Amino acid sequence: SYVAAMASLSEEVLLVVKKVRQKKQDGTLYLMAERIAWGPEGKDRFTVSHSYSDIRCQKISPDGKAKVQLQLVLHTGESTTFHFANESTSRKDWEAAKELLQQLLPKFKKKANKELEEKNKMLQEDPVLFQLYKDLVVSQVISAEEFWANRLGGINNGESAACENKQEVGISGAFLADIRPQTDGCNGLRYNLTADIIESIFRTYPAVKQKYKENVPHNLTEKEFWTRFFQSHYFHRDRISTGTQDIFSECARQDEKGLKSLVTQGVKNPMVDLLSLEDKTLDEGYGISSALPSTSHASRTVKESSNFAIIKRFNHHSAMVLAAAKQKEQMNSFINIFKLITVYLLRDVPADQASETSSTDGNSRDSDFFQPPLKKVKLQEAIEYEDLQQENRPKTVALNLKKSDRYAHGPVPLQSQQYTTSQDIINSVNYIKHEMSNYKPNLTQVLSSAAASSAIAALSPGGVLMQQVAQQAINQMVPTEIQAELKHLYVAAGELLRHFWTCFPVNTAFLEEKVTKMKSNLERFQITKLRPFQEKIQRQYLSTNLTGHLECMLQAAYSKFHIWQTRRMMRKT
Amino acid sequence: MASEGEISLLVVVVDVNPIWWGQHAQSEPEFTLSKCLDAVMVMGNAHMAMTRTNQLAVIAAHCQDSHFLYPSKRLKGNDDTSSSRDGKYELLSVTNNLIAEEIRDIMSKTELTGNSTDTLLAGSLAKALCYINRISKEVGVAQEIKSRILVIKAADDCALQYMNFMNVIFAAQKQNILIDACVLDSDSGLLQQACDITGGLYLKIPQKVALAQYLLWVFLPDSEQRSLLVLPPPAHVDYRAACFCHRTLIEIGYVCSVCLSIFCNFSPICTTCETAFKIQLPQMVKPKKKKPKLPA
Repeated sequence: SYVAAMASLSEEVLLVVKKVRQKKQDGTLYLMAERIAWGPEGKDRFTVSHSYSDIRCQKISPDGKAKVQLQLVLHTGESTTFHFANESTSRKDWEAAKELLQQLLPKFKKKANKELEEKNKMLQEDPVLFQLYKDLVVSQVISAEEFWANRLGGINNGESAACENKQEVGISGAFLADIRPQTDGCNGLRYNLTADIIESIFRTYPAVKQKYKENVPHNLTEKEFWTRFFQSHYFHRDRISTGTQDIFSECARQDEKGLKSLVTQGVKNPMVDLLSLEDKTLDEGYGISSALPSTSHASRTVKESSNFAIIKRFNHHSAMVLAAAKQKEQMNSFINIFKLITVYLLRDVPADQASETSSTDGNSRDSDFFQPPLKKVKLQEAIEYEDLQQENRPKTVALNLKKSDRYAHGPVPLQSQQYTTSQDIINSVNYIKHEMSNYKPNLTQVLSSAAASSAIAALSPGGVLMQQVAQQAINQMVPTEIQAELKHLYVAAGELLRHFWTCFPVNTAFLEEKVTKMKSNLERFQITKLRPFQEKIQRQYLSTNLTGHLECMLQAAYSKFHIWQTRRMMRKT
Repeated sequence: MASEGEISLLVVVVDVNPIWWGQHAQSEPEFTLSKCLDAVMVMGNAHMAMTRTNQLAVIAAHCQDSHFLYPSKRLKGNDDTSSSRDGKYELLSVTNNLIAEEIRDIMSKTELTGNSTDTLLAGSLAKALCYINRISKEVGVAQEIKSRILVIKAADDCALQYMNFMNVIFAAQKQNILIDACVLDSDSGLLQQACDITGGLYLKIPQKVALAQYLLWVFLPDSEQRSLLVLPPPAHVDYRAACFCHRTLIEIGYVCSVCLSIFCNFSPICTTCETAFKIQLPQMVKPKKKKPKLPA
């Protein structure tokens, strides 16, 4: 419910905006420390209240539209729209509200919803789990906390250290191409910039970031800055730096410098030889002609030089994208060095204080500090194979088998073997030798019709060899929906029984409570799920006993509970 | 029907144990080894006649060795014997003649060493698998080939071949090769397991004289076609393990946790690996080492 008394305004109010319409009603918008609320004019209660952690994102109406609106989209998918209707100050109010929200939302975002997201992901990925959830939680056989108790991987156990070492998302190489301008209808272009794209641009082109810091908001508004950015030749394909008053021409020069320094730095890996990758085209004269291709700018055609410029920009762009990813790594190693120094300085401090600083990061500090030169590392990698090294396995005890031929022997056949005398053997062999010495295939007399028809009779349904066919078709006699429902029942019952049986041995008061609750859950399951299913199959005249095993398992659980309960009573008396 | 160009290779392993056949030929003269081989030939001919790309191999499992009846080394030799006199498909008459020649040859060379009276079935199966492997490689990667082995078994199982047999079965399973079994006399636990594991058919036929009919009805269709037919259902297979001390099949036993050897009675020291077990005696006085082994 969205109703909250105004009197409970012990929260700090950060911003109040009057004349904000919501659902065609005038009212006031309040931004507080932990939530945003709106109350209609004249009333003293909030009809709309959302805490920041519930809000997924905010959407703003584009500039130039008459209506100044702000929309809040919640995690649940609902959205609330606020219309800033104050004629004179609407734009300013709206800006202020937007800015404040932009600052506040990220703070609250990460906390509670990681859990919800993980739960949703698990349910989406595993249909069996989803079905179990529907069967048990939605129909209120067990509560949601019990369901999720053993399944969420440590989010609740404070293992947030693992989350800190998540991988950084890198910059997409195509982030500029993704902006995709749309035509405005009147000879203009619209570029949609999101915060992600802006960040990518800043990380890839630090020169642009610097210009932004210098110029916004004193000289230019954000919108003007970006408009100029996209208009400038800096951004355009054929970047011909004409040295205009464009604020970005300096950026172009900085880029050139950067590119030159990258080239001189070269590649540190001694195993990679970039120079051998030269284009070896057969020039005029099929390579025999002695005139070397000239590399000076002057002799190039116009087309060649523009191609050259584009390739240079591609290379620079790729280099910047890669470098942006490396920055974070370097930052980490700097941080580790500082930590190591602090540990060194604190070495005379009692142990618990020193360990505080050193235990916060999981990385081993030594390897970052004493990095061997890169060349040596690469050479080592190339000449050593991991599998050929000495294996440092822990010492094990060897298996000492005395009679290993026992494994090779199979079971002795059940019927006693017929004993044959050696005379018998000799006779048999002679007989067969004699028979086969005159063997000629007589394929027209292989089978008599009487034999054939009796064989066919034995192989036909109902015959001697086909007796079991009728008995084995249980999965063909029961309809597939019933089979599917039975499977769901088994999964649900299995889950409940697992919770029940893990309570034993009952050592603590918590387990006592839990086992009693689980027993009542099992009974509830039996009544709400199992009985209707049994009645259903009875109505369909299915004579097979499909639920016998389930009943058996539940009975075993009940009797165990009964035994435990009587023992407990006896102990108390 | 098999898809276009798919090769179907059938390898028939015939148990020609001379002792068993000699004994039974005297007690049942209407079904002799000659008749059995005739029936096998009929089935082989039928298999080759169904599709041009079908291939056949026949191996005789003797108590001395295993021998290929077809294809045999004599193929390269005489061409005059291959002309058929009754207008039969050349390939079939060549095959039949070769098989007959080879079996006559083998049986005449039978010598009694006295040691082994058991059929070398595991060896024959291993040869069959090797042959299938060779043909698969010769045919090349682009050509699909489906293979199966049919075992026609006469004499009893040999317990000494157990390990080799199980290895053959698992190798066949890995290579998706079916092992079918047509049993003439007494049930064979090993072949039942082989058929169950590889997905083949096991059948103990009630009438030996009608062998050809059973072969054509049950074992001639390949695995794709079998799903469309109503065939005898699979039998219940006894997967019980045998205890190491007496070699009897047991349902519940004791397993050493170090060397995994199975015993029917509890003993404080495992006789295979000589591990001593410490028995903890909790409130109940039963030894805790019991691990029940349930039939599969």
